[in-house]
Amino acid sequence: MTRANDYAIEVENLTKRYGGVLAVDDISFTVKIGEVFALLGPNGAGKTTAVEIIDTIRTPTSGKVSILGMDVSKKKYDIVRRIGVLPQGFSSFDRITVRETLQYYARLYRGRNTDIDRLIELVNLKDKSKEQYRNLSGGLRQRLGIALALVHDPEVVFLDEPTTGLDPRARHEVWEVLQGLKEEGKTVLLTTHYMEEAELLADTVAIISRGKIIAMGSPGELIETNANYQILTLRSADEKVFEIVRKLGFEPVLYNSDKIKIRVEHTEGVQQILSAIKEGGASYLGLDVRKPNLEEVFLKLTGEALHDGHIGEEGSA
Amino acid sequence: MNTRVVGATLFVKLMSVYREKTTMFFTLAFPIILILVFGTIFMGKDNVNFQLYVQDLDQSKTSATSVETLGESGKFRIIRVDPAADVTQYIRDNKVDLVLVIPKGFEVAFMQRTVLRDYKASVNITYIYDPSSSTVSTKMEILNGVLAGINLEMSRMPPFLRSAEQSILNKKYKFIEFFIPGIIAMAVMTLSLFGTVNLNTELRQKGIIRKLSTTPITRTEWILSDILYQFIIAVVSTTAMLLVSYAVFDVNLHLNAWLPAFILLNDFAFVGIGMILTRFVKEAQSAAAAANAISFPMMFLSGSFFPIELMPGFLQTLAKTLPLYYVNEGLRAAMIFDDNLAALRASAVIGTFAAVVFILGIIATKWEEG
Repeated sequence: MTRANDYAIEVENLTKRYGGVLAVDDISFTVKIGEVFALLGPNGAGKTTAVEIIDTIRTPTSGKVSILGMDVSKKKYDIVRRIGVLPQGFSSFDRITVRETLQYYARLYRGRNTDIDRLIELVNLKDKSKEQYRNLSGGLRQRLGIALALVHDPEVVFLDEPTTGLDPRARHEVWEVLQGLKEEGKTVLLTTHYMEEAELLADTVAIISRGKIIAMGSPGELIETNANYQILTLRSADEKVFEIVRKLGFEPVLYNSDKIKIRVEHTEGVQQILSAIKEGGASYLGLDVRKPNLEEVFLKLTGEALHDGHIGEEGSA
Repeated sequence: MNTRVVGATLFVKLMSVYREKTTMFFTLAFPIILILVFGTIFMGKDNVNFQLYVQDLDQSKTSATSVETLGESGKFRIIRVDPAADVTQYIRDNKVDLVLVIPKGFEVAFMQRTVLRDYKASVNITYIYDPSSSTVSTKMEILNGVLAGINLEMSRMPPFLRSAEQSILNKKYKFIEFFIPGIIAMAVMTLSLFGTVNLNTELRQKGIIRKLSTTPITRTEWILSDILYQFIIAVVSTTAMLLVSYAVFDVNLHLNAWLPAFILLNDFAFVGIGMILTRFVKEAQSAAAAANAISFPMMFLSGSFFPIELMPGFLQTLAKTLPLYYVNEGLRAAMIFDDNLAALRASAVIGTFAAVVFILGIIATKWEEG
């Protein structure tokens, strides 16, 4: 096995056009071997189109993609043996059991000695191994999908929105499986519109909006560079608090009967606000100071919300 | 190509249908229903037995004997109409297509002719009929034949032209036996075509094809597993059809290696067409419509149900361009005429067609999306 460099994935000026619509607009990035790389963006940003070109499902309009040093447009057949894919909206044969499905996919990779039991354990499906696919819940289906992507012990794993549509518990169960992959040292390309997912799992995050990568780096770097402030939240504060904060020259980013949220550049600002409230005789029931997250980075960079859900700002506040 | 991959894919497809009991039931029931329906329709053709309505206005002993004689010819089952009835109205009310009316004075004329040898004496038997009925003219021709026979008998002269029947077949076949090969050909076509189109559009819509496209399975392996899968279904269905035919209709056909050979070729051809359709028709519903558009003309024009000789000349030419025509011809040659040479000729045509369509099916099958 020869490899030209340490990159598992190299994407150069990748563009995909559907009629007049640019789904993917000239993106370039590299993923190192052993790295977990996340493409983060809202629905319709072009994440899936990009990843489907990279994992050989679609063909690009222009640009070049190499996986493990091989051009995807020329070496598809060699590449598919070395990558594992969980496509978006994964589905499988309704009346085939978990174990049979794994055995079938293992057979497609020309019968290497696959340890089906280990895979079933890895994705925690031991109790369900004799269950037919149609009887599995959404979370279990996704876990089977992940196991199928790993059935031939691939070098690079593509997971396209692995937790979309799952309830929070099922999502956490999938994250546990993905953290296991990370510990095993697999190269993973992940797409998601959950910033928690990207923050928790990815070494590198590329924020994608309208087909373009608008920022890229580790979650810490992205936050540091793009959102160098703190967020102070005061719960059940009375109206006086609002007045005091404004008098001090801070403009609350959120104000309602439940809470006031204030963006503060330095820690001293927090102290200043708290003392002013105390002196003014106003009251509040609880407070929380935290660093911004990728959701806020995204908001700042694009001016649009990452998704309609409540995870992120509200969920972690 | 890897046979283990083909085998594993075949297993998944077979288990899917085996575990889905309704599909399993209809896969078996459909050809059995076909054979029962067509068997019952064609069974009657062996001994044509029309109902014949007769109104005897003479009400004499002679007229009664003559009506009985008509019944004894074996061609008709006699039903008597009340002499007082208005026949035209009777035809309309009872949805009858023909009433034969024996006039008053029938016995008198008969006596004049037979006893008094008055050769000018004759009677007019009237056929009152509904021209909108499709079988009425056949019925009247048969009736004319029977009446001619009676006239001849009364003249007591031996006939000059006689006829003798000699079949090209050693054995006398029942009408339904000619149709069983056609029904098998049609059922295998329908199962292969619709099975392929339905399965593949469903898997594509569910995204399973997308997942498979990221694995090393090749299009050839996928289509071969489809062909084997449909072949097994076709063999099971054909066995069911033959069992029912033998049990219910007591048929007797030549069963030899040609039967599975033609089933396989038929299957190859129509799985191939199914794969081509799947490529161009994206939605499951329109795919079924496209499959219908192909199978219906094939069913009616290729001689599965009725001999193509009944059709106008240009349709006969068209029929000879349809693949199912050669399956029909080949299966009839093998199962009825025991004519290996004719079966070989038909198999060559359908085999060539199947090979071309199979290759086109592989080329047309596209794993990647746009």
